[in-house]
Formats: sequence, structure tokens, C-alpha cells
Amino acid sequence: MRVLLALVIAGLTTGATPLPARAQQGVTDAEILLGGSNSFSGPLAFTGEQATRFGVDLYFKAVNDGGGIHGRKVRTVYYDDGYKPQEAVANTRKLLEQDGVFAIIAPQGTPPVVATLEYLEENRVPLLFPFQGSPITRGRKWVFSGMTLYDRQSRMMIDYLVGARKFGKFATLYQDDEYGKSFLTALEKDLGRHGLKLVATESVKRGVTDVSAQMAKLQAARPDVLFLVLTPGPGAQALRERQKIGWSEVVMVSSGPLTDERYLALAGDASEGVEGLSLWPDPLTSDRPGVKRYRDDLKTYLPKNEPNRYSLSGYFAAMLFTEGATRAGRRLTREGLVVALEGIRGFESGILPPVTIGPDHETQRQGFWVRVERGRFKQLTDWLRAE
Amino acid sequence: MTIAALVHVVVSGLATGSIYALVALSLVIVYNATRTLNFAQGEMLMVSTFAGFTVYAHVKLPLVVVMLIAVAAAALLGWVIERVIIRHAIGATHFDVLIITLGLSLVLRSAAGLAWTHDEFPFPSFFGTRPIVLGPVRVAPVSLGIIGASLALMLGLWALFTRTRLGRAMRAVAQNQRAARLVGISVERVYAASWILASVVGAIAGVLIAPVVFLSSQMGLVAINGFIAAVLGGFGSMPGAVVGGMLLGVIENLAPLYLPSSIKHSVPFLALIAILLIRPGGMLGRVARRKV
Repeated sequence: MRVLLALVIAGLTTGATPLPARAQQGVTDAEILLGGSNSFSGPLAFTGEQATRFGVDLYFKAVNDGGGIHGRKVRTVYYDDGYKPQEAVANTRKLLEQDGVFAIIAPQGTPPVVATLEYLEENRVPLLFPFQGSPITRGRKWVFSGMTLYDRQSRMMIDYLVGARKFGKFATLYQDDEYGKSFLTALEKDLGRHGLKLVATESVKRGVTDVSAQMAKLQAARPDVLFLVLTPGPGAQALRERQKIGWSEVVMVSSGPLTDERYLALAGDASEGVEGLSLWPDPLTSDRPGVKRYRDDLKTYLPKNEPNRYSLSGYFAAMLFTEGATRAGRRLTREGLVVALEGIRGFESGILPPVTIGPDHETQRQGFWVRVERGRFKQLTDWLRAE
Repeated sequence: MTIAALVHVVVSGLATGSIYALVALSLVIVYNATRTLNFAQGEMLMVSTFAGFTVYAHVKLPLVVVMLIAVAAAALLGWVIERVIIRHAIGATHFDVLIITLGLSLVLRSAAGLAWTHDEFPFPSFFGTRPIVLGPVRVAPVSLGIIGASLALMLGLWALFTRTRLGRAMRAVAQNQRAARLVGISVERVYAASWILASVVGAIAGVLIAPVVFLSSQMGLVAINGFIAAVLGGFGSMPGAVVGGMLLGVIENLAPLYLPSSIKHSVPFLALIAILLIRPGGMLGRVARRKV
């Protein structure tokens, strides 16, 4: 209705001049509408809730209060898929066909995101910064990846652990789905480059009650390093199990998506000494200007919410969208947004190192090494990069 | 695989199995009295545990008190559900009641999501996870604690069913409702008592398992394995529920030691099919032969 009204008004005021090209769905004179399917129930509900309502929306609140993007306010709409691919597809159709969103922002989880890829590409809708890392999103015209992709994460982890730390025997406990498997493939490939192999791999299903058998088998293979490619619940269970069997001589390393305070809180004192690749600076203590601004905005708009990496990631996604949409200019189209995002070079977010996007559409390529000391992640290296 | 690792995995399986057994018992208690399968048992357990947790999160009371609160909440929940919903369906077919409880489970899970979010919470434990070393074997106090507490509760239930007037009334109703009514037993009271008792047993299982699997709206899914345990043991048999639960926990843990770990989740069902092929009534169940 509003689009129609805008068109009529445009037609009236421009008088004799022909109507402009068909208006862009999801963009009116006053508003840009974005949406996403995400987990608001199921195993990644906390992550989803934080990334969207407490991350993406937090940044847009600040943007809207500052006058919006070229005078347009940003509004968001989300639906719950509970980490289920079929629900994600239904939600995404609804967002496009009923709500009429301009673009999809920050959906979560490899299986749900992958399920919507084809549909979004067919309809030429930008899929922006999904919170997932399967390399399947790389090199697609309408997709801009979010977190550092798993193959890059894997390369950074293996090169650091084999190179700087001189470890030689690796094993993996992974989640039996797209997320776990694409990480596993990448780890095997990168170990291969160093002439190494995984000495043991075990899988867990979501909703697992006991991981003692898997851990016993992994321990029997005597690895130096055990990678955990899991979600917070099973990840914390594996750490507890390690404590139960008194397996102290192994270095536990958590994957990028897992490396968050949330999973430490579940594991309690069993998390001490755990290492991992962190994709985000410490949201509570980092003095980078963007992270400070994030904390200030949280205090202003959502004072009850504790800072965490998930909401920081959503905040960053919204910041990157704002940068792209600002560059695209007042006449915002999907095509124009893609071109504008591709043109970003050395963008200072104040959260991550300068962002250069370019034709591969990867927005993040780095991480740094952390170890848990007295219940918090302590930074061990500077930013590691995998080019 | 060393013997020490094997012992640990079996003990850990017995701990999980104890929880399955408790859930199986609570299903059987309701089934015996009312011939109803309560598909909401898992969610009732989850909501009761959350009730205890809420109090714990606000005022750090000792864990024993938290458990008592969970038990009280469970008793209330069981009573309300029986009184407000199930009793009105007393004339309905078992199948209708089954669908009602199925719907109830979905409602409770969504309600828990609204009240407490779908997040996972660390839950305080009576027992530590740091292992006790006994010679070459290490066992976790938390596993032993769960097994011990469950066995104590089972003993209590046994005493209740054999030594008390209420227990005998419940058994009488299970055997023959009309005869029970004729000798002056209030069947309605037995119904209510069964729901309350089952709910309480579930709540204790919930408080015991929550520190291990973490408290979340998904925790009720443990009831699926409880159900399998009850069928394994012979649905309706209380010793069967205990044996079925323990067996299931151990099989579930031992299978991935020798088979690919991804098979773990199909093992309970394979075990179920195997046992039902050999003994259609379950391990300790009576076989009701039908003449054809």
C-alpha cells in the first residue's frame, strides 16, 4: 500500500516526466525493510535471539535515531525456524512474498541457510552476512558471507597449531550435520598439507545425553589436540566428560562458532585451559572503538542485556549493511547494494580489522587465538589471517 | 579400550539409564492406574525443574530446598493437569487421551520457551564431576550420585506400593477397576494420586539430570528414551521399567564403543525391535496372547 502511495505521489509531483523504474521491493521513501529466518527456539535459540533482536536491531536503533540511511529508517522482521531447514525455507518465502523484504540479514546455521540459497538466488535477493561458515556460500553473486568461513578457520587453526605450537596428533569430536561435516572436511584437507591425518574422529547428534563412549574412544587414540566442532550444550558436556575421566594431557580446541563465554558458563570450571579461535574481540573488555560504541548502545537501548559475541556479530552485520546502503545512495536497489558492498575497501568498523570485501564477497577472513584462564578467554595471538 | 575406560562408560550409562528408568516408572505409574500414556511426562519434568531453578536463580537456596520446590511444583502440576484436563476426558477413548497429552506436551514446551526462553542453563549439582580414583578405575561422583539417588527413590516407590494403603489401592485399580470400586476404593482419588506421584518422580529425575544435559525447554525429550525403556521392560511392569532403563542406558553407551558413533541414536530402537521380536511382551511383561 505504502509503495503504491509513494508511486502515485511520485507520479503526481513529477508531472509529465515518465515514472521512474519499478520501485524496489522493501524500500520506500521512509523505510528499508529487512528480514531473516533465525533460531528463536531449538539448540541455537540464544545465539539467534542475541544476533538479531539484541545485535542487528541494536545497531539499527542507533542508526534510526540518527536520522536513518539517506533519510530512511530501517525496520526488521524475523521468523523462528528452530534450526530446521524446511522451516527456514518457508520463513524465507514468507519474508519475500508476504512481508516484501528488501534483503535477508543475518540468518543462522549452516543447514537452514544452505536450504534457502537457491530460492534467494533465483529471486535475486541479497543474502547478507549469514551466521554460518560453510564455504558453500562463497563466490555467489547475491550472497555476502558473514563469519570467517570454516575452511579459512581450519587453515588458521591447523597452521598455528602445527607451525607455532608444534603439535602433531589431532582428533575431532564433531556435530553430525552440515556444520560438523564441512569443518571436518576442511580440517582433514589442511592436515594433509602438513602430511598429517586425524588420528580419530567421533560424532555426536544434537540432543545427546552422554558423550562418554565417544570421549573414551578419542582418548584411546592419544591425540595432542582435540577439536570440538559442536554447539554450546554438547561442547560443554564434552568438557565435563574430559574432567570426569581426568584426561588432562590433551589440549581442547573449540571451533570459531563455539568459542564464546556462553559455552564456558555451561561448562563451569571444566572449561579451564580450553583454547580456541575467536572470531570477535572480547565484547566485555575490548577497548576497540567499535566495541566500546556497541557497549554504549547496549547501555542506552537494551541496558538489561549482557554484552556477548553473538549480539556483537549482529551489530557488526547491521553496521556493514549500513555502510553498503549508504554507499549505494538514495536510489537503493538490490543490484546497487551488491555493487556498493563489493566496493568496500579498508572499512574501519572499530570492531574487526579494516574490512575489504571485493568480488569474493567474504566480509571476514581473520580470527585470533585464545585460552580460557579463570573463566575468561585470554588473547594469545594477534589477528591470524588465512589468505 | 582399557578396562578402566570400559568401567567408566558402563557406569556413565547406568547413570543415564537410572534417569530413563525413573521416567519409565512415572509413565508406568500413570498407565497402570488410568490406562493412559502420558506423552507430556517429559515436559512436566522440564517445567517442574525450571520452577525449582527459578527460585534458585533469584534466591540462592540450598539445592535440597530447590529439589523440594521442584517436587512441590510437580505435585501441583500433576494434580492440576489431572483435575482440569484428564478427568474430563475420562469417558474418552485411550487414543483421545493420548492425543490430549501429546498436545499438552507441545503447549508446555512452548510455554516454557516464553517463560524461560529456549536457552540452555547450567544447573547446580549435588555431586561433583572431578573423578574419584579407585585403583586403576576412575568414576565420577555425579554418575554414582545419580545411580544412588535413583535406587533410593525406586526403593521408596516399592515400599509405597507394597506397604501402604494408597499403594495397595493403586495396585488394585491397576488390576481391576470395577472390583476396586466395589471394595470401596475411590478410583478418582487413585487417578489423582497416580498423576501426582508420576509427576513427582519425574521432577526428581529432572533435577538429577539437569546438571548433566543442562536445563532447557528441550530437556523433556528424555521421555522418549524413558518410553522405550518402559516398553523394553514390558509396559506396565515396574521392575521391568527399571531393568529396561538401565539396560538401555548401558547399551546406548556401549554400542558406539564398538560401532561408528553415529549409530548411537538408532541403537535404542534396534534393541527395542530385537527384544519385541523375541519377547513380544517385553522382558518382564506378561504376554497377552490373542487367539487367532
